[in-house]
Order: sequence, then structure tokens, then C-alpha cells
Amino acid sequence: MSDTSTPAAAVNVRRYRLVRNVVAVWLTVMIVAAFLRDIPRLNILEHTARNLYFHVPMWFTMMTAVFVSAYHSFQFLRTGNPLRDIRALQAARVGFAFGLMGLITGIVWARFTWYAGAGIWWNFDPRQTMAAVQLLIYGAYFVLRTAVDEPRRRGRIAAVYNLFAAATVPFLLYIVPRQMHSLHPGAEGNPAFSETDLAPAMRPIFYAAVIGFIGLFWVLYTQRVRLAVLKKRLQGDPEF
Amino acid sequence: MTIHLLYTPQEVEQARQQAAPYDSIWANTAQPEKPASALEQVMLAQDKIYVVLAVVLIIWLGLMVFLFRTDRKIDALERTVEACIPEERDEL
Repeated sequence: MSDTSTPAAAVNVRRYRLVRNVVAVWLTVMIVAAFLRDIPRLNILEHTARNLYFHVPMWFTMMTAVFVSAYHSFQFLRTGNPLRDIRALQAARVGFAFGLMGLITGIVWARFTWYAGAGIWWNFDPRQTMAAVQLLIYGAYFVLRTAVDEPRRRGRIAAVYNLFAAATVPFLLYIVPRQMHSLHPGAEGNPAFSETDLAPAMRPIFYAAVIGFIGLFWVLYTQRVRLAVLKKRLQGDPEF
Repeated sequence: MTIHLLYTPQEVEQARQQAAPYDSIWANTAQPEKPASALEQVMLAQDKIYVVLAVVLIIWLGLMVFLFRTDRKIDALERTVEACIPEERDEL
């Protein structure tokens, strides 16, 4: 178990560089393909269907990030290793950024498709509202952390909250929006994997985009873990 | 899946007429003499989506350069910290 290793070796730098380089090339190829590959041309959607390659992976990435974060929170409660607390916090932060980008890109996309001609940006569509609530729940996690000064106590309280926050994700992002009337695709089923919501021509690039953006999350998250460990060492934290 | 036609020919003609007043500035100027260069032929095709692709790629590659440079700074900082913090810390 890595919990016995020294936090100075928190990150395998060689593996980090390898993944980073693969992600950079992978996402570059994916962006080119996302623009150039033919897609079915539909009324209302037109070329905005290409947003599928960018908007939807934001949410897949955000969900991956919060479950990585919850895993490290669980491990922190189990072992008390402060590195676990750092990992939980940084994964949640990067995941939050992806969720925020998912929400904003969704607002822009909806403005010019669902609400074209109506001129509204936000209409409390259940899917969007639940996504916003989800981000607020994670916002509270960051605020909660600032409220406790003693590191171990802060780590414990934040970890318990984080586990509850992660438990709300499937409900707010999957279950509730499907029980309500939503304009968002997938209100009647599973949009990412169903036969009718995702044209076969678009599948390879979509899946490549999901993998690529999750890789990008891992790169940004690992970079932040390295910085956070450095900061602890410079502060003279005896545990680092 | 049903695939609908984006625009009917009537709609295309209507759009052209609606755009005409805005085109008047250009209607009186001389048309470019030069035939489209090879670069232009590529970039102006497909509703000019290649121009959007070029812009997005420039932004993406710029962000990647930023990410790589930040990594190099972290590498250097880690080396400095390792050199400065004495080894006896390990005995704590």
C-alpha cells in the first residue's frame, strides 16, 4: 500500500510525464476529428451537435473526479495519511472546474437550440438545475475546509462531508432529472449509450473525447498534488 | 433516425435577399482580382469551419505549452526544495 511510502514520492513523475504527453497528443487529434468528421445534419442542432464531443465529457470527467476524490476521502478516514486529504481536495477542485465548464457550455448550447427565438439563457430545466445544485454541494465542501484550522480535524470532517457529497451525485445527475420533464436528451433513458441519441458516426470521437478529458483531469490533478506537497514541505510540515 | 434537410432552396433564396442590404457596401467595391489561393480554397470550404478549427487548435496548443512550462517550473522547484531541506528531517 502506498500509504507507507514517504509523501515526497507522492507522485511518480515519470508516469506523470508519459500520461501528460499522451493526453496532449490524444486530445489534439480528437479536436481535429471533432471538427472535421462528418456528422448527421439535423434541424435546430445543425453543427452544434459537435458540442457533444466537448460538453458531455465535461460531466463524465466531473463524475470521475468526484469519485476519485471520495475514494481518497475514504482512505483518509481509514489510514489518516495527510496525503490522502490533499488528493481528495485537489481531485474535487479540478472536478469542480470541469463541472463548471460543463454547466456553462450547457447554458450556451441551450441558448441557441432549446431557447433559440425565446432569448432566454436559463429556464430551470431540471437537468441544469440539478447540475447547479451539485456544484453548490461541492462549493460547500471547499467552504467547510476553510472553517476548521486543525489539519487532522479538518481532514476528517471534510472527508465525511465529501462521502455524503459523492453519494448525492448519482441522484442529482442521473436519477432526478429523468423523473422530471426535461428538454435535455436522455430524459427517457440512457443518452450516452442508447441507440437513438448518439449517431454511430459520432461514437468513436465521443468515447475518445471522454477518455481524453478524463486523462486531462488526471494530469491537472496530479500537477496540483505535486504543488500541494511542495507547499507542505516548504511550510515545514513534519509529515511531509 | 430521420435526417432533415437543413434549408429548402426557397429558404436559401430568402436568406440571400435578406442579406442583400448588408452586402451593399461590398457590392460597389471591386471584387478581388486574384483567384483563391490554395490556402483560401481549403480554409473557406465547409462553411469556413476550418477557420474555427485553426482558432481552437491555437488556443489548445497554447494552453498545452503553458501546462508543460508549469511542469518544468515544478520540476525545478522540487529539486530546489530537495536540496535545501536537510536530510535529518527523515529521522523525525
